[in-house]
Amino acid sequence: MPDEQRSGATRDGTDNANGTLAVYVWRGDGTGGGEQRFDVPRQDSQTVLDVVTWIQQQADASLTYRFACRVGMCGSCAMMVNDEPRWTCRTHVERVARNGELHIAPLRNLPVIKDLVTDMDPFFDKWVKAEAIHHPSAGRDDEFAAVTPDDPERIEASAGIECINCAICYAACDTVAGNPDYLGPAALQRAWTLYNDSRDDGGDAILDAVSRSGGCHSCHSMGSCSHYCPNDLDPMGAIAGLKRATAKRFFGGGRG
Amino acid sequence: MNAQIDRHDTDILILGSGGAGLFAALHAQQSAPAGTKITLAVKGLIGKCGCTRMVQGGYNVALGGGDTVERHFMDTINGGKWLPDQDMAWRLCETAVERIHELENEVGCFFDRNHDGSLHQKAFAGQTADRTVHKGDLTGIEIINRLMEQVLSRPVERLQEHRAIALVPSRDGEGLAGVLMIDMRTGSFRMVRAKAVLMATGGGPTMYRYHTPSGDKTMDGLSMALRAGLPLRDMEMVQFHPTGLLAGDDTRMTGTVLEEGLRGAGGILLNGDGERFMFGYDERGERATRDIVSRAIYDEMRKGNTTPQGGVHIAMSHLGPENVAQKFAGMVKRCADCGFDLAGGLVEVVPTAHYFMGGVVVDTDTRTALPGLYVAGEDAGGAHGANRLGGNGVANSTVYGGIAGDVMGRDIALQTSLRDPDETVIEAEVARAMHPAGRSQSGQVQGDIHALRRELQNVMWDDVGVIRTKTGMTGALAKLDAIEDELMQTGIAGGSLAFNLTWHDWLNMRSLVEISRVITHAGIARENSRGAHYREDHPDVGELAKSYFTKVRMQDASLEVTREPVRFTIVSPGQTILPDGEPETLVAAE
Repeated sequence: MPDEQRSGATRDGTDNANGTLAVYVWRGDGTGGGEQRFDVPRQDSQTVLDVVTWIQQQADASLTYRFACRVGMCGSCAMMVNDEPRWTCRTHVERVARNGELHIAPLRNLPVIKDLVTDMDPFFDKWVKAEAIHHPSAGRDDEFAAVTPDDPERIEASAGIECINCAICYAACDTVAGNPDYLGPAALQRAWTLYNDSRDDGGDAILDAVSRSGGCHSCHSMGSCSHYCPNDLDPMGAIAGLKRATAKRFFGGGRG
Repeated sequence: MNAQIDRHDTDILILGSGGAGLFAALHAQQSAPAGTKITLAVKGLIGKCGCTRMVQGGYNVALGGGDTVERHFMDTINGGKWLPDQDMAWRLCETAVERIHELENEVGCFFDRNHDGSLHQKAFAGQTADRTVHKGDLTGIEIINRLMEQVLSRPVERLQEHRAIALVPSRDGEGLAGVLMIDMRTGSFRMVRAKAVLMATGGGPTMYRYHTPSGDKTMDGLSMALRAGLPLRDMEMVQFHPTGLLAGDDTRMTGTVLEEGLRGAGGILLNGDGERFMFGYDERGERATRDIVSRAIYDEMRKGNTTPQGGVHIAMSHLGPENVAQKFAGMVKRCADCGFDLAGGLVEVVPTAHYFMGGVVVDTDTRTALPGLYVAGEDAGGAHGANRLGGNGVANSTVYGGIAGDVMGRDIALQTSLRDPDETVIEAEVARAMHPAGRSQSGQVQGDIHALRRELQNVMWDDVGVIRTKTGMTGALAKLDAIEDELMQTGIAGGSLAFNLTWHDWLNMRSLVEISRVITHAGIARENSRGAHYREDHPDVGELAKSYFTKVRMQDASLEVTREPVRFTIVSPGQTILPDGEPETLVAAE
């Protein structure tokens, strides 16, 4: 890290070396709760995950949060940070603190278990409901399918393949907030990936699943999913693809 | 303290949801009689905790083009410095071929392709063929996401955020009755009886100051196995990755891996004086193997040639920042998110404890000395010996997880009823887990569990780490005793035990201290230097033909350490099973 970032004023105007951060953490459970303030010393290298860790280890041993990999691979530690969904392990405090303040809350659109921990089961139940599971066309005794990487279908399939199911897009989505049956951007993106995967044998099952009530046609294309995806994926584009494919099938065009 | 214990029954219980646990669930479903109940219990969320997901490099498997199972096997034995259980290593290499086809064709993983549509394979250090199948540098995510989908879509019972705390034997001592757990969300105890149990919780050497594994991994599995009286092998073998991110003691970023490929691509290491030092240790410089680079960095650190935070720098910018940002996009972005400029600046790095080669003694069917208990993945010892080759970890967990599922599915057909658990063990284990909660009731909470964990991590790093001596390790044993004494005096605050992370921090420490002691004893017993284990007072490799592996078990509350001769069941040192005239390596020189 360059020296000029090591010390001196940060973007929000507090003194980095000696400052403290006023952190408002949502405490509670499924029945309700509210914010509690903690003053947390600032560090040069400090993520939002480090902030909640400090609170649990040094200020209030009863604080509950979830994390695993620490590096943005597992998608366990997503929370609302200043009202925006973020991976806390990869969000540097300096980038999000406003006037020396942080507000941290459990991920939106999922049931709260305790404090900053949500129940992710509904998110994964919808993943299954969207038929977002590989439908094999071959078995372990068969050769690998020859798939050229520059095949247009494959490029479309690969576009969303690095999703880590962190549910950031699901938390960002206003349609999910308004319609609990909506499958949500991540599950639909996975369905689109599979629809374009030449090895997947479930094209019709996928289109059936995503054209039901709560499927791709519920999306209003507001784009929060693609805006907030920490991996720069484009679930909204994938959902648009599903909309086209379902419409095309409806009008008798078959698989495109 | 009267803890209520919920009682729960299943047929097959799987602990862990990494490559081994998820594959076991799929295979058990395929092989077990219809109507068999399968339960997956995991300390975090299914598919999210554990380390398979974090695999960057890839999956070693011989798929032709000159490469053979025999060559993969020889690389594994050479890489393991002749300590692997050869039958386990063979079955790993042989079954990897079927498993990778299953992953692609049935589970739905998509691995990187060559332009002609065939699978792309590359060579990692220590391999004599382009063998590693991969999905960019995020292979683990692809494997776990696809496995997770398959498991979630099947009728497998899920016990998430359930921490296993004890393997409970049957009343008659003839086998395993089940597993005692804590439902972390409610803080209550749950005894799950099963006809067959797979332990696949992943090792994870997080008792070191710098470590790579996910936060949930704290050696709980090996600690349970030890208390159940099972023999553990190769416990001195802790693999260090040379380049963990060093960002200070107050961030969880510290210790996480900066990928191997950075050095392979020409990244250089600079000590505190800004000088390249690797060529002073090895003619390959930064491209030397993990163990050599780790020791070299550690040596610079001991000499005090360090950067501000006490490590060394990795520099990539001489390769062109734009080029680096393009080639290592994920790693550069990760560093940038955390405030570091990998492409154009200097990033501090330090060796970091990465993988645990040691584990429970198992046979090639994952069976253990305790009937009803099966072990696979990082919890099982034997396949890697003194050193795990990059790309053999996920191959091992998926191969043996699948085997465990097959074998358990068949075995339970013969096991008609559940075993009755030994209630005295349940009682003792509940008391063991509740120990710190009892301490907090007097009002004043004593001790600082987090300070104590740092102390443990410092002891293991300093005395049982990258470079070891008998004096250091003997001293460590006394320090570990003192840490355990203090742990037993340390209570937890927080009132309710429901989702009380601090209680689990305490339980994590208990497992870590227990296994740290085993690592230290095994380290003292190995009086030579092999692979990951380096003894400054015994720097020689020792005679290969007389290779031994260490075995530790708990008997009457004390540890019994033995050395057992390695059985060369397939190949002896100095020999090869490759046909005459085979080239030493198939990898094209750079």
